Amino acid sequence: MVKPEDKTVLVVDDEEDVRDYLATVLEDSGFSVVTAADGAEALERVESAIPDFISLDLVMPNRSGMKFLHDLRRKQEWRDIPVVVVTAHAHDDLGKADFVEIFSGKQLAGPSFYLEKPVNPDQYVGLICEKLGVQIEGKPDESDTGRLRSQLHDLIDQMESTQLSQLLRMLKLLG
Amino acid sequence: MPTAIDLPPHVRDWIGDGLFQHVPSSVIVIDRELEVVAANSEFVRVFGEATGKHCYEAYKRRDRPCEGCMAIETFEDGEVRINDTRGIDKNGQPAHYVVHIVPVHNEEGKITHVIEMSYDVTESRFLQRRYNLLFERVPCYVAVIDRDYRVVRANELVRNTFGDSAGGHCYTMLKQSNERCADCPAMKTFADGGSYTSRQLGINKQGELTAYVVSTAPLSSSGRDFEHVIEMAVDVTESEQLSERLLREAQFRRRLTESAIDALVACEASGTINIFNPAAEQLFEVDALQVTGRKQIAEFLPDEFVRTVAAGGSSLQMPEAAVVNTKGETLPVRLSGTVLKEGDHVLGAAAFLQDLREVKRLEREKLDSERLAAVGSTVAQLAHGIKNILTGLEGGMYVIRSGIKKGSAERTNKGWDMLERNVQRITVLVRGFLSFSKGHTPKAVPSDPSRIAQDVIELYRDAAREAGVELIYEAERGIAQIDVDPEDIKTCLENLVSNAIDACQASNKEDQTVTVRVRERGSTVVYEVSDNGVGMDSEIKNKVFTTFFTTKGMGGTGLGLLVTRKIVQEHGGRVEMESVPEKGSVFRIELPRQRLPAPANQKRDVGRDSAEGEHSHGQTGG
Repeated sequence: MVKPEDKTVLVVDDEEDVRDYLATVLEDSGFSVVTAADGAEALERVESAIPDFISLDLVMPNRSGMKFLHDLRRKQEWRDIPVVVVTAHAHDDLGKADFVEIFSGKQLAGPSFYLEKPVNPDQYVGLICEKLGVQIEGKPDESDTGRLRSQLHDLIDQMESTQLSQLLRMLKLLG
Repeated sequence: MPTAIDLPPHVRDWIGDGLFQHVPSSVIVIDRELEVVAANSEFVRVFGEATGKHCYEAYKRRDRPCEGCMAIETFEDGEVRINDTRGIDKNGQPAHYVVHIVPVHNEEGKITHVIEMSYDVTESRFLQRRYNLLFERVPCYVAVIDRDYRVVRANELVRNTFGDSAGGHCYTMLKQSNERCADCPAMKTFADGGSYTSRQLGINKQGELTAYVVSTAPLSSSGRDFEHVIEMAVDVTESEQLSERLLREAQFRRRLTESAIDALVACEASGTINIFNPAAEQLFEVDALQVTGRKQIAEFLPDEFVRTVAAGGSSLQMPEAAVVNTKGETLPVRLSGTVLKEGDHVLGAAAFLQDLREVKRLEREKLDSERLAAVGSTVAQLAHGIKNILTGLEGGMYVIRSGIKKGSAERTNKGWDMLERNVQRITVLVRGFLSFSKGHTPKAVPSDPSRIAQDVIELYRDAAREAGVELIYEAERGIAQIDVDPEDIKTCLENLVSNAIDACQASNKEDQTVTVRVRERGSTVVYEVSDNGVGMDSEIKNKVFTTFFTTKGMGGTGLGLLVTRKIVQEHGGRVEMESVPEKGSVFRIELPRQRLPAPANQKRDVGRDSAEGEHSHGQTGG
């Protein structure tokens, strides 16, 4: 049985908080984690040691996720590294074009799945384990914050923009 | 009739001497030597003493016989001759006279003397020449016809225009017709000796229609016993053509002004309105009859135009002018005025006014829909972007929980920091939301464009100095006030200046400068913020105006440029950007005056003030 300790995951995200978050989630599940703040840095990481898995943000300054993917495809030994795209911009002007291109099926190799921010840690870890054939001992997180989070997640997804702004107004008054 | 031979002797004696002296013509007797043997008193009166002189001396002051002397010929052949000739009288004046040269025979039948009897025709010849000249050269048609309607004489103009056909019928010559005209004025003159006038249409020698007005008169002073009629005619072809053309043009112009969409108001030099077309009636809501000839342009047109006319200017274009109609409503118009002049003398003025109400309304609607679109898309983007912050919040909670589980204070603290940062981001976001909230329109007040820029420069002076960036300010002098929300525009400039300073710091150049410029180009106020910092590649350029895009990591919210663009769009303006990697960037805010929001007179509401208070400081760039 493959253990998470045997697998190294490269987390690429320009936002430090997101990077730290995802890294913590993966570390807690037992994976070895390396991080990169942008595409250029990610390329350096891959060059020094080929990771088993890459978690990639698409919209980043200084070499976007898109460019990084192109670089990966160009090299035989990098081509088959599994990639999950983690983005907040799958459907907006900022990331839509890249996103559609990546998942159009025209790629020889590349990510075949993605996660939208905010990321559910269980889903995130579960997906990576599945792709890598890794099994983790222990049961899924069922704490209060976990429930609260998934409720909030659902709410945000269903909310109208006007409601959202009202909510934020209220949040501000409370703060 | 008895001859002199049959007369009583005393009568014959008188004729011999008395007649010679008293006949009212000049008589001299010359011999074969052409010497004057005797001259009568009339001759002496005209030509002076002559007896003993040669005739040529007496008549002409010559010193030898005239060429072709008729007296010499008469001495030779005994024929009576008449000579029309010129001499010089005793006063040295030219004299025109007619001489009858008669031979006198002696008993043997030989011609011993010649008698020259002459009468002065100087005066009548002079008159004749003058009348002839008048007849020929008078600039109208003159012809004399007889009772058969044949042309006895026609003057130069008739001959030149209709051809020379003296002796032909007048109707043939003037009209190329074979019959007398039905309304012939000459016929009436022949009938009663009166003068008649009528308008006739002739055909000239080129075959063109020629209109003339003819007057006829009998050629006799009494109006009776005359054989000829004189016709005098004036050619009216050109003036008729001209007046017809004028009429057509006047009609054309009237139709043009009446059907014009633009209002036309024209005045005399005095300022009294003389043209006020239907479009003007509609614009000013007044009947033209109450205006033309009664009112002054000053009552309808802008002062600037009235002043231009008074000052004798030539033309005036006012793309954005305002007039007040009779109901007291102020209407936006585009005015194009011309002062009509002859040399420096002002004849009058005309102004075309295009009603801009509809244009303005469409412009406003377009602006409104642009604003709504900007608000709508931005709100959608903001809502979407919240996911990023939520990820940060969730991440913070997760890391804290992970730290507690593992008993790692370091991890717990890290998670706490993440929470704090993302709560802070929410605060900034909410501020952004407020400025994007629906129904927000800029509270425009007349503001000094340079003052706004100066305030921002002051605000960033210290920050720039600390960052080692030189902050330069260049303003065009005398830019007029603009109707903007000064706090809004300050926010925009703060964003741009703050970004520019960051861009400089991100580069490793020695002399880092940020320049803020204010100028006006063709009624558009332009703010320009340029830096010589890192610049942007095309990918970044494409994304700078989108929500939460930032190149500054956690240092930026990705809202600054978005807010800037939204504010500028709300003011009817646009943000332009040029950037070259490693060279620097230029951001330009362009505010066309005619698209600026209408100034708000009411006091700002409280909520608005607090929102402004927040986003005018603590802004971070995109």
